[in-house]
Amino acid sequence: MTLDHTLIEELLAVRSLGGLDGEDLETLERELTEHGACEECRQLRDGFDQTAGRLAFALEPLPVDPTMANRILSEAWGREAPAVDELAERRTGRWRRALAVAASFVVLIAGVAVLRDTVGVDLVALQRFLVLEGGEGSLALAYTPGERGIVVWGQDLPDPGAGNVYELWAFADGTPISQGCLEPSNGNLAAFLNAEIGDAQLMAVTVESAACPDSPTTVPVYTGELV
Amino acid sequence: MDACPTLTRGAVVIDLIEAHDKELVERVRRRDEEAFRSLFARYAPAAKALAQRIVRQAHLAEEIVQEAFLAVWKNPGGYDGERGSVRSWLMGTVHHRAVDLVRREEAHRRRAEHAVVDVREEQADHADDVAVELDRPGEGALVRAALKGLPDEQREVIELMYFSGLSQSQIAERTGLPLGTVKSRTLLGMRRLRVALVGVER
Repeated sequence: MTLDHTLIEELLAVRSLGGLDGEDLETLERELTEHGACEECRQLRDGFDQTAGRLAFALEPLPVDPTMANRILSEAWGREAPAVDELAERRTGRWRRALAVAASFVVLIAGVAVLRDTVGVDLVALQRFLVLEGGEGSLALAYTPGERGIVVWGQDLPDPGAGNVYELWAFADGTPISQGCLEPSNGNLAAFLNAEIGDAQLMAVTVESAACPDSPTTVPVYTGELV
Repeated sequence: MDACPTLTRGAVVIDLIEAHDKELVERVRRRDEEAFRSLFARYAPAAKALAQRIVRQAHLAEEIVQEAFLAVWKNPGGYDGERGSVRSWLMGTVHHRAVDLVRREEAHRRRAEHAVVDVREEQADHADDVAVELDRPGEGALVRAALKGLPDEQREVIELMYFSGLSQSQIAERTGLPLGTVKSRTLLGMRRLRVALVGVER
């Protein structure tokens, strides 16, 4: 027996939501097979699948572990190792970028050392330097472990958009702690944040509203792991 | 006179997003990590919200998101541009994994019973999702408005099926409705949603 399209439509609607079970599963498969390359069946199936997929967006998005994308790629590359020269290019490219940022940063530190008295931090004496990766342009931090004060430097950064800013986060055991919000000027950024990195294992930057929220609402665009 | 301006602008925006998504998937096929990161940044938070709503545990939801996006990286050819949008495909992948996980677990019955209670006693729970954020711009508001526009009995079966991961038989058992009624309400609701969200009458 061949079902008419109304009944097939009913079963496809339920299937698109993941709710089809029992005999109906087999019935639908059998009928679709009998209908063969049926254009109406295909349109019904795709229409409901599209509709069901959109329902997910009714929910408020949730923050995701900012290291997850890196973990996925690492796992994937571990299984399908890239060519040696490709890896070498990646490593050298990353180092070239880091060195370029570091060189510029040294210039910046020297230039802003005069701010020592103003901010109460010896900028030249900052001990650690961290390049954040992920987005366009260059973004780096300098700080001294255990002491307050983070210098942020950026160049060629994308505009975060009207009414938006960049927000710096220190992730300690997966918990994000806001370090402050930053607004680049023509893609450039040089700022001192009166914050302490503490026990953070990861630094990240997200795009947030100018209200500078207490917890991140978007996925980080730049991240850097602390050694 | 500006004929149907809101719908037209909305449709253009969605088309542009879709075009960019397809470009990203194409670049992922060529093993472009930045394209993958962009796709992840754009959709992982929504994917996690969906997975967490179904499995109700944050760490399991993160695992599902990770597995789903790993599958995307390993097999971007799984996306068929002729069948629809990238985001629906991604959410379908996540939904399928989350529902599979829930149904495999021994504790499913208990969790499902809670889900039914949650939905019945806390209509405001889903109503929160639907109503509270209605004034926010973007796709979320559109989808919430479409759900809110359904008759209660249609919305209930669709939410139990999609957001709680219950099968048609489980819904019939827990609500006391005949199986045929569950299916017909689902069909009627999905037809309305299809018109509202995809713009297809049939």
